[in-house]
Amino acid sequence: MSSLELLEDPKIRRSVEISNLVKEYPNPYGEDFRVVEDFNLNIQEGEFISLIGHSGCGKSTVLTMLAGLNEISDGGIIVGNKEIDGPGPDRSVVFQAPCLMPWMNAFQNVMLGVKNVYPHATKAERKQIVEHSLSVVGLGDAMKKYPKEMSGGMQQRVGIARAIALQPKVLLLDEPFGRLDSLTRMELQDVIIDILAREKMTAMIVTHDVDEAVFMADRCVMMSNGPKAGVGEILEIDFPRPRNREEIFNDPKFFQYREHLLAFLEQRAPIKSGTRTFANGDYMGFVNKEGKELELAAQEQATLVAGSAVA
Amino acid sequence: MAESSKDKIKYGLLKFIDVSGFKVFDPPVRLIFGEDPQKQIRDIAKFMVLPMVFVLLCIFTWNFLAPTHKTKSGAVPTPAKVWDAYKDNRRFDERENEKEEAFALTGEEREAEIAAVKAELVELEKKSTELQKLSDEATKVGQAKIDNAIAPIKTQYDELNAKFREERKERKAELNSLAEKIAEKQATTDELITAVKADRTATDQEKTLLKDLKTKMDDIRSDPPEEIKAAQLAANKVADEVQHYKKRLDYLTSGNRELKVVKLEEKIAADQSELVAAADPKAILKEAKSVVSNEEKIVKTAEQDYPRTATIFWQTRRSIATVFVGFFIAAIVAIPLGIMCGLNRIIMACLTPIISIFRPVSPVVWLLIFQIIVGAFFPDPETHWLFKTLNNDTILWGLLPNPIAFLQTNPAMIFSACTVAMCALWPALVNTALGVSAIDKDHMNVARVLKLGFWSRLFKIVIPSSLPLVFAGLRISLGVGWMVLIAAEALSSSDGLGKFVWDEYQNGSSQSFANIILACFIVGIIGFFLDRIMIILQRLVSFDDGSATA
Repeated sequence: MSSLELLEDPKIRRSVEISNLVKEYPNPYGEDFRVVEDFNLNIQEGEFISLIGHSGCGKSTVLTMLAGLNEISDGGIIVGNKEIDGPGPDRSVVFQAPCLMPWMNAFQNVMLGVKNVYPHATKAERKQIVEHSLSVVGLGDAMKKYPKEMSGGMQQRVGIARAIALQPKVLLLDEPFGRLDSLTRMELQDVIIDILAREKMTAMIVTHDVDEAVFMADRCVMMSNGPKAGVGEILEIDFPRPRNREEIFNDPKFFQYREHLLAFLEQRAPIKSGTRTFANGDYMGFVNKEGKELELAAQEQATLVAGSAVA
Repeated sequence: MAESSKDKIKYGLLKFIDVSGFKVFDPPVRLIFGEDPQKQIRDIAKFMVLPMVFVLLCIFTWNFLAPTHKTKSGAVPTPAKVWDAYKDNRRFDERENEKEEAFALTGEEREAEIAAVKAELVELEKKSTELQKLSDEATKVGQAKIDNAIAPIKTQYDELNAKFREERKERKAELNSLAEKIAEKQATTDELITAVKADRTATDQEKTLLKDLKTKMDDIRSDPPEEIKAAQLAANKVADEVQHYKKRLDYLTSGNRELKVVKLEEKIAADQSELVAAADPKAILKEAKSVVSNEEKIVKTAEQDYPRTATIFWQTRRSIATVFVGFFIAAIVAIPLGIMCGLNRIIMACLTPIISIFRPVSPVVWLLIFQIIVGAFFPDPETHWLFKTLNNDTILWGLLPNPIAFLQTNPAMIFSACTVAMCALWPALVNTALGVSAIDKDHMNVARVLKLGFWSRLFKIVIPSSLPLVFAGLRISLGVGWMVLIAAEALSSSDGLGKFVWDEYQNGSSQSFANIILACFIVGIIGFFLDRIMIILQRLVSFDDGSATA
């Protein structure tokens, strides 16, 4: 474990400052369409932020900009004490789809990044890092398995292991459980909470799920609707850590937080129930009152289709 | 435990069947392992028995229809004739082997072989004369039969011919008299014209009748009774065998390599003694020259190989070798280029015009171009180092026998391979480019987050994820290459199956047509196996079991 401890250098700063972040896309008429505008957020070291909002409001855009995968149009993001410029292993991402390389087994998938991030580590040390991160996500026995031999939940575990093996300053979770059934989702939520309790990482999760947002985060950032979305409201979640699912779900405070979030979302629902309107300029269709049920159903369908394709 | 190991074998077999693409054999394997026998038997009936019946039906149709179509090279050969052609080709190949062996035999082994061949030859000749006698007798009997069959027709023909001649004469006289009557105004011209018309139809009818009879006789003559054919065939077969043994004996004695050398050595010795004895300066010079030229001849003879006649099997091997050479050239060029195209849109834009213009060019044009270009590289192929090395009897400084010496590589093989490469290039190139550019965006995002460098991105992500499509392209390439090669060989007379077909077409012996159809089957079967090999490779490299590309 010595190599792992070495990597957890206390001097490393893991805070995130997002200031006046803007994302513009040119539309076909030559005008710039601002998806996100003046997004400001400071995240403290080791803090867990959940980002919630209606679909299409730009949550994922903010996260991918923080990851460096999406260009920043204006404003800036400072991680630690350095402004970010492009993607990097200090901000590792768990994607919605597990995005594993199908020609590599679990071990090799995790090793892929480790080789680059620890160029000076010996082979044995690297192996130890990979094995450690896989066993943290509960895949100690399935290291030699290929993605096609694993369930969706197991694949996402490998995705998480790959992200944490890099010992990132910030762990970014982009709707990581969106494609999983609710039981697996709960398991993986616990896995993430356990990891974050042990390893000192700052984390941000983008989610549709109000329960998830409340249960996992220290602060819930509610985004206003796009275009020109920004931080609408921030809700402090005052639960002690480590968190126990049962206790929290029985806590009356949990329901208050939940109601608060739902009220925020409902108030800003882009489409009132059952009516057909244009929303956000880029989204058109039928959505029910909460604006999420249909999308979840669609995701489940997608998972089903993907599942049958694998079979 | 026994049960599970049995299952292991079963699923191993099924997996192998699946990977190799012989899904048809799935039900019988399951049946052997006793899985739901009723369903398997149903499947076997549907997917094995019925197709087999259909193929048999096709063969029967072929067998039935072939003899009905007469061509310049005889009737279209039936399946049985093609099979005979195969057996004859086999025998021809074996005989070439025997002669080659005889040519190189030395010392006591040769003596033993000579004795054996001679003994065999005596037997064979005895048998041959017997059979010849039988054949002659059969022919005599058969001829009598034919004559008998023809005789009545002949008399009928002669009678009719005589009768018709008379009738024609009469009609002529009548017409003449009619014409005279018209001149004397005793008849109308219309009458004469009707009479001339009647005469012509009568003459035509007579001619047809006679012609029919003649054809009948010809048919009888040209189709001798089966016993004659059989007797002649048997006699010919043994006579053929006798010929072969005589040839073998030839190669064991006067035509033998070792004996040729010995003879030359004797000659040199004689020349040398004459050289010593000679007094006349002219004679001295002549003897000296003779010694030197004989010494040169010894070296050449000692290195000489048996001048094999190309058999269909050798041509097949040569074609396979050529197609693989061409295919590898294509792969070596196409895959890196395709990867570059897929990675970089500028390179793609640069290559697109070239690909678009040269891809549709016919293989025939490439063949001619390469024939000229390659020819220029080897003005004197006999002495060129490349062919000397490739055709040398040994490799690695004489350590091992050269496994490709038998191919007799020459410029023709090179330009055929280049033509194959040129035509096989495009599918591999386009598919590789497609495979590389169609990489899952998520995978590229992962690579960006992990900050993988160019090379590890290339080898860990780009190439593995494009491999299924690359191999799909290579599979098409190999198929195209094989088709192009046969045509190229036929056109350029470069050794190979194509040349075999062309030669058979040109020489037009009784078996040529059957040989061409035989070659057609060989080309097809080899093409099928090449495709299978590529399918297996494709499945092995496909992380998704090839289901996405198959």
